Amino acid sequence: MVAAGETLPAPVAPAAPRVVSPWNPANAVTASRFLTLPLFYYAVAHGYHQWATFCMLGCGLLDKLDGLVARIFNCKSAFGELFDAIADATCYGFGLIVVAAFGWAPVIPVVGVITLGAVNTVMRAIYVKRAGRTTNYKSYAMERLVAYTGYLIGFATGGFQVTFFYWLFLPVMATILAYDTKRMLVDPIPEAA
Amino acid sequence: MNGPLSYNAFYAFMTITTGGVSAVWFAFDLRNLLRVRALDGGDPVIRDRKFGYSIGLVIATIGMLGSAKFWL
Repeated sequence: MVAAGETLPAPVAPAAPRVVSPWNPANAVTASRFLTLPLFYYAVAHGYHQWATFCMLGCGLLDKLDGLVARIFNCKSAFGELFDAIADATCYGFGLIVVAAFGWAPVIPVVGVITLGAVNTVMRAIYVKRAGRTTNYKSYAMERLVAYTGYLIGFATGGFQVTFFYWLFLPVMATILAYDTKRMLVDPIPEAA
Repeated sequence: MNGPLSYNAFYAFMTITTGGVSAVWFAFDLRNLLRVRALDGGDPVIRDRKFGYSIGLVIATIGMLGSAKFWL
């Protein structure tokens, strides 16, 4: 009850969701990963194994750095996460195709990896459509596999146990894809944060 | 091999960045897995984390084995 003369407290309006511009430092770091690709191609085409490895290492480190920059500048966004996933697919897909084309990696596993990667991309697109908003499907297992993919290119450029690492990658990826497919296509989608 | 490092230095570098990182990763995901082990497996997020950490252990083991195999 409110006594005569007292006033009710003003209702608190719900906080509006924070809008983050896509032109932010974290996305700039993500985009800068593309700059390593021409250098990588040049190194592979001219037989510079070590430099090609360092290019891919740089690309991988920038991938780790963008998350840190997003936290420092508080510019984490759904678009940034999606852009990061697109950059992963582009950089690592390009790297795998180049090392296979120059005969530095076995073709069959590379085709398998790229095919499974394409299937995963389609699943993600369906997931976004199901969610009805720009969102990135978060998978702890896939995050680890993406790191392994970056390493795969480094193994090829460095000539480091290439057959061993490439052939073992396929069953791991197939297992993760089977698990994630169920989550993306069947399981309920969590509410937006 | 044309590059800034000698043959041995380059492969020592590859071993550290693969085997060394895998060992740290193994310990990290093992700790994560032990932490979430007791949590409710019916929650899809918890289930995804358990699966992800288990896959992390598998990948880290592959990394350590591959690095060891190079020198054997």
